[in-house]
Amino acid sequence: MIILKNERDLEAMRPACAIAGSVLDEVAAWIKPGVTTKEVDSFAASRIKHYGAKSAFLGYRKYPCQICISANDQVVHGLAGARRLEFGDIVSLDIGVVYNGFIGDTARTVAVGGCSVIAQRLMDVTEKSLQEGIAQAVSGNRVVDISRAIQNYVEGNGFSVVREFVGHGVGRSMHEEPQVPNFVDKKDEKKSEKLRPGMTLAIEPMVNTGLPGVKILNDGWTVVTQDGSLSAHFEHTVLITESEPEILTWPARMPSKLKAQ
Amino acid sequence: MAREDAIEVEGAVVEALPHALYRVALANGHRVLAHWKGKARRNPVPLEPGDRVKLEMSPFDLSKGGIVWNEKEI
Repeated sequence: MIILKNERDLEAMRPACAIAGSVLDEVAAWIKPGVTTKEVDSFAASRIKHYGAKSAFLGYRKYPCQICISANDQVVHGLAGARRLEFGDIVSLDIGVVYNGFIGDTARTVAVGGCSVIAQRLMDVTEKSLQEGIAQAVSGNRVVDISRAIQNYVEGNGFSVVREFVGHGVGRSMHEEPQVPNFVDKKDEKKSEKLRPGMTLAIEPMVNTGLPGVKILNDGWTVVTQDGSLSAHFEHTVLITESEPEILTWPARMPSKLKAQ
Repeated sequence: MAREDAIEVEGAVVEALPHALYRVALANGHRVLAHWKGKARRNPVPLEPGDRVKLEMSPFDLSKGGIVWNEKEI
């Protein structure tokens, strides 16, 4: 059952999403070669706390960390640990915060210091595919229109989209209906949900340089590409409106009183 | 945080097991262990063999699924 957010819900959800966007900006800027993923996780925790929010991931289905940190061939849900990020790595940061009872969910992949040409192209294509998907997030369209735009753009650039993990509705809870796949599944096409104002979707392409296949490591969480190829992940929480989609997790949307804290 | 792409399949209850668990036969002949999913978990309806159900399954573990619809509660 899809939950539509009214103006009062959105008043509470907008700051949550803005905080997620700002924390993501700050963590992405803070990363440099030599830091461990545990240090990144702790820094993110301090920034989330600074804004008076809480991690939406910590404890979600027993997830043990504050944010998700997935480097190189790791796709999503990478656990913080002793691993030291090195120059040339690309690392996906997925931030989810709870504030005012609502969740903001956003992700971005950045280079640690610098990266290879192919890695840079992968990040650019993934980010652009997210924008292509968001452009379809218009009332009257259907979820499959978002999926098709992402898949076409990614595969048009020679990369592949992950199938086992998808975007999702988000609001008071982490994963709400509908699912938002980054590919068109023949049987989904007919019964794909209509997009209506008040829907808030976490649109999140996960793109590999090689094949789409993934697997979960025996830590129970970290998802990696089966063929060891690089993977990138970009995500925004987006509100469907009567007209243009509103990107709720855009960092600049931070209300001034929160920023001044 | 990405969500696992839940696959929805139809099946029929074969056997009721303890703790509100069920053995369900899927259209493709596989038998899976089914548990209640989501809000239904709090007040599960007793199902009997032959009742049709819809399961939500994870692509990573095709041995079990969550019951998201059942014939009795339409």
